[in-house]
Amino acid sequence: MSADPQTPPPATATATATSTATATASPAKLQTAIDSLSSIVPALSTLTPSNLLTNPDLYSNISALLRQPNSGAGDNNLCRWLYDTFQSGVADLQLLVLRFLPVIAGVYLSRVADRKPQAGFEAVLLALYAHETTSRAGQPVSITIPDLTQPSVYHEATGKSPSKSTGAAESDLAVVSHALEPHGTVRSTRRARIVGVALELYYTKIAHMPISSKIDFCEFCKVWAGQEGEMYEKFEEDEEENEEGGVGSAMEVKVRKKVEGRVPLCWELLQPVMRILAHCLLGPNNNKEVVLFEKANEACRSLFARSMHDVNPKAILPMRSLMRLSKTLMPNSKHLDPTELPYSDVISL
Amino acid sequence: MLCACSGEQFKFEEAPQSPESLATRDFSASGLSSRTGDWESKFDETQVEDVESTLKETLSLNYEEARALLGRLEYQRGNFDAALKVFEGIDIRDLAPRMIRAIAERTKQRKPRSKGDNVLPNVMSMHSVSLLLEAILLKSKSLEELGGYTEAAKECRIIVDIVESALPKGMPEGIGEDCKLQEMFHKALGLLPNLWIKAGFLDEAVTAYRWALVKPWNLEPWRLACVQKDLATTLLYGGVEVNLPSQLQVNGLTTPMSGTEEAILLLLILSGKMALEEIDWDPEIMDHLTYSLSITGMFESLANNVEKVLPGVYDRAERWYFLALCYSAAGQNEVALNLLRKACASSEAKHRPYFPSFLFAAKLCSLYPNHAHEGIKFSQEAIDLAKHQNEHFLGQGQKFLGTCYGAAARISVLDSERIIFQRESLKFLNAAVALNGNNDPEVIFSLGLENAIQRNLNAAYDNLIMYSDMMAGSSIRGWQLLPLIVSAQQRFKDAETIVDFALDEAGSVDQLQLLRLKAILQITQKQPKQAIEIYRILLAVIESQKEHWLQAKAFWHEALTQQKLEMEVWQDLATIYADLSSFLDAKACVDKAQLIEFFSPRSWHLTGLLLESRTLHKEALVSFLVSLSIEPDYPPGIISAAKLLLKFGMQSLPIARSFLMNALRLDPTNHDAWFNLGRVSKMEGSLQQAADFFQAASELKLSAPVQKFE
Repeated sequence: MSADPQTPPPATATATATSTATATASPAKLQTAIDSLSSIVPALSTLTPSNLLTNPDLYSNISALLRQPNSGAGDNNLCRWLYDTFQSGVADLQLLVLRFLPVIAGVYLSRVADRKPQAGFEAVLLALYAHETTSRAGQPVSITIPDLTQPSVYHEATGKSPSKSTGAAESDLAVVSHALEPHGTVRSTRRARIVGVALELYYTKIAHMPISSKIDFCEFCKVWAGQEGEMYEKFEEDEEENEEGGVGSAMEVKVRKKVEGRVPLCWELLQPVMRILAHCLLGPNNNKEVVLFEKANEACRSLFARSMHDVNPKAILPMRSLMRLSKTLMPNSKHLDPTELPYSDVISL
Repeated sequence: MLCACSGEQFKFEEAPQSPESLATRDFSASGLSSRTGDWESKFDETQVEDVESTLKETLSLNYEEARALLGRLEYQRGNFDAALKVFEGIDIRDLAPRMIRAIAERTKQRKPRSKGDNVLPNVMSMHSVSLLLEAILLKSKSLEELGGYTEAAKECRIIVDIVESALPKGMPEGIGEDCKLQEMFHKALGLLPNLWIKAGFLDEAVTAYRWALVKPWNLEPWRLACVQKDLATTLLYGGVEVNLPSQLQVNGLTTPMSGTEEAILLLLILSGKMALEEIDWDPEIMDHLTYSLSITGMFESLANNVEKVLPGVYDRAERWYFLALCYSAAGQNEVALNLLRKACASSEAKHRPYFPSFLFAAKLCSLYPNHAHEGIKFSQEAIDLAKHQNEHFLGQGQKFLGTCYGAAARISVLDSERIIFQRESLKFLNAAVALNGNNDPEVIFSLGLENAIQRNLNAAYDNLIMYSDMMAGSSIRGWQLLPLIVSAQQRFKDAETIVDFALDEAGSVDQLQLLRLKAILQITQKQPKQAIEIYRILLAVIESQKEHWLQAKAFWHEALTQQKLEMEVWQDLATIYADLSSFLDAKACVDKAQLIEFFSPRSWHLTGLLLESRTLHKEALVSFLVSLSIEPDYPPGIISAAKLLLKFGMQSLPIARSFLMNALRLDPTNHDAWFNLGRVSKMEGSLQQAADFFQAASELKLSAPVQKFE
């Protein structure tokens, strides 16, 4: 295809563009959501459709309510509001609900073992799951393993002759997320999958998620891991030192106390968790968000400790890499800007 | 306009009159060459003066060039505001067409005559173009310094646009030798995406990276690699999907369909370059690649790439451990174990033992009964090391040790040895539970399984209940083992209830296994009709899902499991019909099973039983022996053969006895074997011994699960 190389890139700031578009499209639904929310949370009565997404108090207020005991019950008004708001189908409102997913998933999973009724949380999670099920239309999420013997826009073919160009297509398919079966209730063996898929949805929208939501996510990662990551604080640095530290602490730990909130981390849950965490840790602009980076770093250590404890190679490999990569981003390691012009007093013409 | 910002804001200690006064002067925009005279006296700043005089002597300096030079001076001093003011006087949009023409014309000319620069009239010189490009670049960088990232990015894009329009086919060879055009352009290419990222426009940044990569811009290998790596990481961690524009989706070329795929492609290219030593080794590339291939589950590809890493990058033990992780994650545990054997072997004895290798090896061995003894060694070493450095892992080491002892007991030939192993197994598993049990449900499951196998049913039941509680019912393994334990307690109705609960909590794939368990429970309770009904449903579901599993290679594991289940269902049905003396139906079921897998010991065993029922003893024996030739350690085949031999009379008794003893060695809790052994003893006349055997058989039968614990 010979297209014009001068074609300007697609319009920027898609986020703001779509938000204004939908805001004008369904003002009635926005207003309903605001009205019902302010009846549940009186502190948020000053909300208007224009500041709904930007109101600074909204997140802290709602997430505090979500953390209260009994917050996830079936008759909980806030859960119902979250459910209804997500079902309204307005993209902005769905993003708004999605912000609270870390808190919902975090509180929910940590409370599951207590066998408290959490129908409210489950309804919200199932709504997110159903949304993904519909949008994926029974297809698994898969990616093709790039074949370097075939040329691409970024490289020329290497060496071997391109023998099989059509037949190889299917065999190199890797399934990232299996096709979804519809669920009307949370079956306990599918719980991790349902939460995992909701987190996959969160990940696809992560560019629109506020920092506070991501910070909460990182904190819950630590809770889920249920493992102290301190022993890996000086990961691969001073192993000798580590050894001595280990002997010292050996005396204290005999029988470990029960850690609250530790959850079984199967691949279905761990995979989206690691992707979100990687974004929090290494995503662009994270140097501006010191708090997020710190939290993500701690979460990363905890999850790495957990994966080492479980001797789970599928988790050790990515977590180990993330640990190493995060170290290069530590504030003390300076990065040189290769685009910087060399300073000189000589003017060359 | 520009005069608004004058001297007092930017005072220089050495120069009372700041150089930006040049910028504030009102030049006529049309002024082409230097207008000397009246502005010379204004400058007492030595550096500027020097520059000016040199310029005047050697070249004619036009208005824009002068601003470009002056702006650079200000920039280098750190007066970004002032620099910006100076640069703003250059109307680049007006100049752009001329610059494009100049670049296009002069690069075209370059090839035949190397020094043809000055021949073209009315075309800007390359020096001039470079100078102007540099001015825009510095303007962009000044804006960046002042925090105007979006503006900076827009400025920077002008450079890219100009050069790209002039050179649509990429940078010609050798252009960088005598002018700064290429250098400026390369800097702009590198700067632009960074500016967009700082401005918060990731999609623009990705587009900018792609611009830099898809055309031959003569970037040095390291710079190209840098851009590739930056694009890959932006795509991997940015959290935005930026579709490849249609002009980059060329037929016949591999086209990545998602950001992750594109990132992996780039990282693979980079790792290929490192393998060929075209660029220096960069551990970050390997880490990004590891991360990206791991989260997409492509561990086999990852292993291949780690294999390609040049020697000397990792030390041996580290490399083996890394590879073992990859292969194990890809499901090739035997390969992983082989690598770990090397990593833990005596060749590494001089080095500090790498603890994770030992623990990992212990875990892998604990998964396979045939590696039990090796696993015991690895676990003990892991425990020893843990005591010294990683106390934290002590419980894990004990868990693997206990599991391996349990497996060792099962393959043990000597009775005395088996008892010791079983005791050790429980000892270490209990220790592990005491240490980690509060937080690690898996260790409780291991203890429960071992207890069940040793027929400590009450303890096993308690363990499993605790396990299910901790997992909040989310473990399918727990749901499968618990009803077996309850069935071993001969509480079949309860077992059935548990299976029903489990069916409510399971996903569709796991439900199939549970349905089979439910049917087996029905058989045990002598309700063949219900059992057959369940099997009918089960077969219908399998049939309906078959197409789905067979459609892609990615599901081969699931497809195999389904196939095995289908075969087992037919075999179960054959047993039911044989018990009901409906031999033709039974034969039909066995045939179905054999269509799926011809060499299944159980199918041959069932064929033998059917032949035996038709009193075709010789043929039956042949069938049993076929099943044993497929799987020599198949206790039901051994027992049936022994039973048949008993029918042949006294002379076969010693053979039958040895068969049965062998079966008991393989499966010490097999009540059928004990019972037949009793019969042998009775026929031989040792009644006391026979009574003992019968008693063992009856006791074992009362604690036998409907399916083997595993």
